[in-house]
Amino acid sequence: MSTDVKQADRPPVYGTGAPDPNAFAGRNGVPLYARRGKLSDYRTYEIYQRERVHESTEKIRPIQLSSPDFARDPYPLLTILCENYPCYRDWLGNSFWITRYDDVSSLFADDANFETRPKTWYYQIEGYGRDLREELPVLEAQARRIDANAARLAGEIAEDMRAKGGADLALEFAARFPMELLACVLDLPREDFPAFVERYWRMQRGRLWEPRMRQSGLQAIHELTDYFRPILERRRADPGDDLISAVAALDADGGPTRAEDLVVTLLEQDHETLHGGLANMWFLLLTHPDQFDVVRDDRRMVKFAWLEMLRHSTPVVTADRFARHEVERFGRLLPNGGLLHLSAAAANRDPRQYENPDRFIVGRKDLCQREPRGQYRADGLPAGIAFGLGKPSRHPAVPEDRPRSLYAIARDTATTASNVLLDTLPDLRLRPGTSPSLRALRLGEMHACWTLPVVF
Amino acid sequence: MDSIASFLTNMADEAEAKPGREAGATAATERKPRGAAGFKSAEQGFPLMPVGEAFDMGHAPDGTPLLDPRIFDAPEFYRNPYPYYKIMRDHYPVYFDKLHNCYYVTRYDDITACYFDDEGFNTIPKGSSSGVLGNTQLELSGVEHRRRRNLYGQHLVGKSLDNRLHAIQSIAEEMIDDFANLDESIKQDRNGVRTIDVGRAFANEFPIRVVCDVLGFPKESRKDFYYWYNSMMSGLGGSETHHQGLEARQHLEEYVGELVEERRKNPTYLYDANGKPVSKDVISKLCESQVDGDYLSTEEITSNIALVVGGGGETTRGAILNMGYLLLQHPDQFKAVMEDDGLWDSAFHETLRHSTPIGGQPRHNSFDIELHGVKVPAGSLVNMVDFSANHDERIFKDPETFNIFRPDLYSGKLLRSGYRKEGRCSHMAFGVGPHLCPGAWISHQEAVIGSKILWHKLKNPRINVEKMPKDIDGASLAPIGLISVKELWIDYDLN
Repeated sequence: MSTDVKQADRPPVYGTGAPDPNAFAGRNGVPLYARRGKLSDYRTYEIYQRERVHESTEKIRPIQLSSPDFARDPYPLLTILCENYPCYRDWLGNSFWITRYDDVSSLFADDANFETRPKTWYYQIEGYGRDLREELPVLEAQARRIDANAARLAGEIAEDMRAKGGADLALEFAARFPMELLACVLDLPREDFPAFVERYWRMQRGRLWEPRMRQSGLQAIHELTDYFRPILERRRADPGDDLISAVAALDADGGPTRAEDLVVTLLEQDHETLHGGLANMWFLLLTHPDQFDVVRDDRRMVKFAWLEMLRHSTPVVTADRFARHEVERFGRLLPNGGLLHLSAAAANRDPRQYENPDRFIVGRKDLCQREPRGQYRADGLPAGIAFGLGKPSRHPAVPEDRPRSLYAIARDTATTASNVLLDTLPDLRLRPGTSPSLRALRLGEMHACWTLPVVF
Repeated sequence: MDSIASFLTNMADEAEAKPGREAGATAATERKPRGAAGFKSAEQGFPLMPVGEAFDMGHAPDGTPLLDPRIFDAPEFYRNPYPYYKIMRDHYPVYFDKLHNCYYVTRYDDITACYFDDEGFNTIPKGSSSGVLGNTQLELSGVEHRRRRNLYGQHLVGKSLDNRLHAIQSIAEEMIDDFANLDESIKQDRNGVRTIDVGRAFANEFPIRVVCDVLGFPKESRKDFYYWYNSMMSGLGGSETHHQGLEARQHLEEYVGELVEERRKNPTYLYDANGKPVSKDVISKLCESQVDGDYLSTEEITSNIALVVGGGGETTRGAILNMGYLLLQHPDQFKAVMEDDGLWDSAFHETLRHSTPIGGQPRHNSFDIELHGVKVPAGSLVNMVDFSANHDERIFKDPETFNIFRPDLYSGKLLRSGYRKEGRCSHMAFGVGPHLCPGAWISHQEAVIGSKILWHKLKNPRINVEKMPKDIDGASLAPIGLISVKELWIDYDLN
C-alpha cells in the first residue's frame, strides 16, 4: 500500500510531465553532459567519429613542431601541413595547426568563437595593469611622434653606419631603429636608453615557455614599473606631446593611470613587426639582386617590397587563438579552451592564393598592394598576413582624420627609414662571402634575420 | 650605442645555446652533472643524471628551482622522472607547461580530490585515445559512465572473478611448464643454468591469453589479438603509427562484430576444473545486457572490448615484470615473499606504488578555477600525475625506496573510494574514484597468481645483469622510470 503512494508522488518518467533528460543536473546544478541543456548538445558517437577524420599523422612527427629545426626554418613542415591537414592535431603540444590562407584569416577575425589572450595571461599576471593601446590620445601621440621623428632617426643611424665604413644591418639598423623610435615616442632621456632597451626586450621575450626568461621578464616588468613611476608623475604635472604624457592625462575607468598601466600598454604592443620586417626586407633585397635593382630604380617600389616581405617572410609566424566554446570546424570538434596555432607563415605561402608562393617578387600581381580591409583582402586580393599589426580594419579607409592603423604606420615608417638608408648609402651590398639566413631565436619568437653584414 | 648592439648580439648568440650549456653558464649552476660525462640525450640536449638527482635548470630570485618544459620530452625524464616530480610537488603543485599547453597536478591529495570531482574535471574526449579505441567509458562521466562501466566491470570482480581464477592458474602453469621448448633467441641452457627472457617467455603473452579467455575469444584468434593489441597500443596518442592503430581497430571491429552476432545465437561458457560450465564469457554476457530496455549494439560492445584488449595486456605485463625486477634486486624481500604467500599482495601493491605502469589520467576542468594560486581556464588539459602521487612524501615516507613491508601503504582489497585510515593509504596506480580501473581486481589476481607460480617453479632465479640494459655508469641496472621493464633476463638452475 505504502509503495503505491510513493510511486504516485514521483514525477512521471515518460510524457510531457517528465523532466527533460538533457537538463540533467549534477550536484552543483551544473549539466553533466548537455552543455546548455539542448538536445543538440548531447554528443553522439557519430560526432566522436569525426575526430578520426584526417587523423593519420604519419606525414610528420609532432615532436618536429617543437624542435630547434622548426624554429630555424618552419617552412618545410608548414608546407606539409598546408598540403595535407586542414586542421592538424598536434597531440604533443595539445593544440591544432591552421595553415591555409582562408582558414587562418577567417579564424583570426572570428571573435565570436575564438579569442587571443593578452601577454599578461601568458605571464600569469592578469590584472597587473590596464591595456591602454586603443585609447585615442595614446594612438595619436604614437603616430605623431613616429611621423615627426622617423626620418631624422633613420638619418642619424645611417650616418653612424657610414662613419664606421661597414655594418651589420640586422642589428645596427633593423634592431636599433625601432627601439630609437620607441624611446622617442616615450621621450626618454638619452642616458636611460640602453637600460630601457635591455629591460624592454627581457619583458617582451619572457612570456613564452622558457622558465628562466619568464623570471627575467617578470623582473624587467617590475624594474620598468619602478622606472616609469616618477616619470609618469612628472609628465602628469608637466605634459609634453609624447605617449607617456598621453597616458598620464588619461582618466580611464578605474581611476587615474598608473605606471603599471603604462608598462602593460608597452608589453601588449607589437615589438616584432617593424624590427623583424626591416631585417627580413633587407635580407630579401640583398639576397635577391634583381629585385633590389627594381627597388633602387624606382623608389616607389620600397613600399611594395615591404608588403611582399610581409607575405614572403613574415616575422610574426604564428598567432595563438583559443576556442571560446566547443565549436565544429574542419570536420572536427574543437574543444572549449582548445589552442589553435594560426600560422601566417604557412598561409602567406598558400599556393591556393599565390602563384609561385616561395618566390620573392616585388610588386607581384596577385598580392593586395594597399592596406588590407576586412579579412586581409582589399581589391579582391589577399594581403600578407601580419599578426603583429592586429586585425585588418573592418572600416573603409575614410574618413581621413581617423587614427591611422598600425598597418599603415609600420609600412610608412619602414618605407621612410629604408629610403633614408638608400639615400645615405646608395652603394649598399652584402659583404662578400657571407650567407645570412632567417631564424627564430627561440621556438615561438619572431622569425627574422639576425646578422646581415653589409659594405658600401 | 655599442651596449645595445652587444646586448642584441648576446641575445642572438644565446639562442644557439643548448639547454645544458645555458644552465652551466649561470652562476647558480656551476656544478657539473656528476657521472653524466659523455651522455647527451640526442634530441633535447639534457644530460642523463644519476638516478634521484635532478638536472639543475636554474633558479628564481627567491631560490625556487625552475623547470624547463622541454625536459618532459627528454630521455632523461623517462628514465629518471622522480626528482623532477619532487620539484613539481614541492614548488609547483599545479605546473603550467606552456610548451605542451597543459597543467600538471602532482600531489596525492589534490589528485584524489580532482578524481572524485567528476563535474569539475570532466573526461570529454580531447585526448588521443578516442580515435583508436572508439567511444569508451574512459570518456563518459556521471551516471552514463557508471551504467556502462558496470556492464562489463561486473564480470571482472567478485564471484565472476573467482570463477576465472582456475583458468588463470592453468594458463600460467601451462606456459611455465613449456619453458623447455622456447625459441633459442630467448632461452639458452649452459652448465645446468638456463637463461631466459621472462618478458617474451611469459609476461608478454600471459595477460593476453587471460584476456582472450575471459572475453571468450576463440583460441585461433590469438594471432590476430597480438596484431590488434600491438597496433592499437602503439597507435595511441596520434603517433606516426596512429593510422595502423585505426586500421587494426577497424579489423577488430569487424571480427568482434561477427563474433557478437554469433554469440547472440549461441552463447559460450567458461568451465571449471571439472569441465563444468560456471558462467558465460564476457562477450556472451554483454550480448544479453540491456540499457534502458535496449540491448547493447554491436558497436558499443566492440568499443568496450577494444578498451579491455588495450588495458588488459600492457599494464599487467608491466606489473609482472616490474615486480620481478624489483624483488630480484632486493633478495631479502624476495626470500620473504617466497616463504610467506601472504606477502604477495604487499609485493604487488608496493611494486605498483614504486613503479606504476600507467602514469596518470588526463582531465579537463569544466569551469575557470584557481588551484594553488594558478588560474586554470575552463577546458584546459589537466594531467593528473599518478606517478608523482605514488611518490608523494606527504603520504609515503621515503618514497624512492622499494619496501614491501612499508607500514604506510594499504595493501588490502581495492576500494573505489581509495583507502586512507590509521596512517595507511592506497596507492594511485589504478586511479581512484568513479574511473578506478575496472580491471584492477583481475589484474591483481593475474599478476599475483602468475608471479607466484613463476617464481616458485624456477630454482634460485637471479637477474642476468649482462643482458639487461645498464644505467649511465655502465655497470648497474637501469632504473625503471616511466616505462615498465621490457625485457627481464634471468638465470635459474635446472637441477
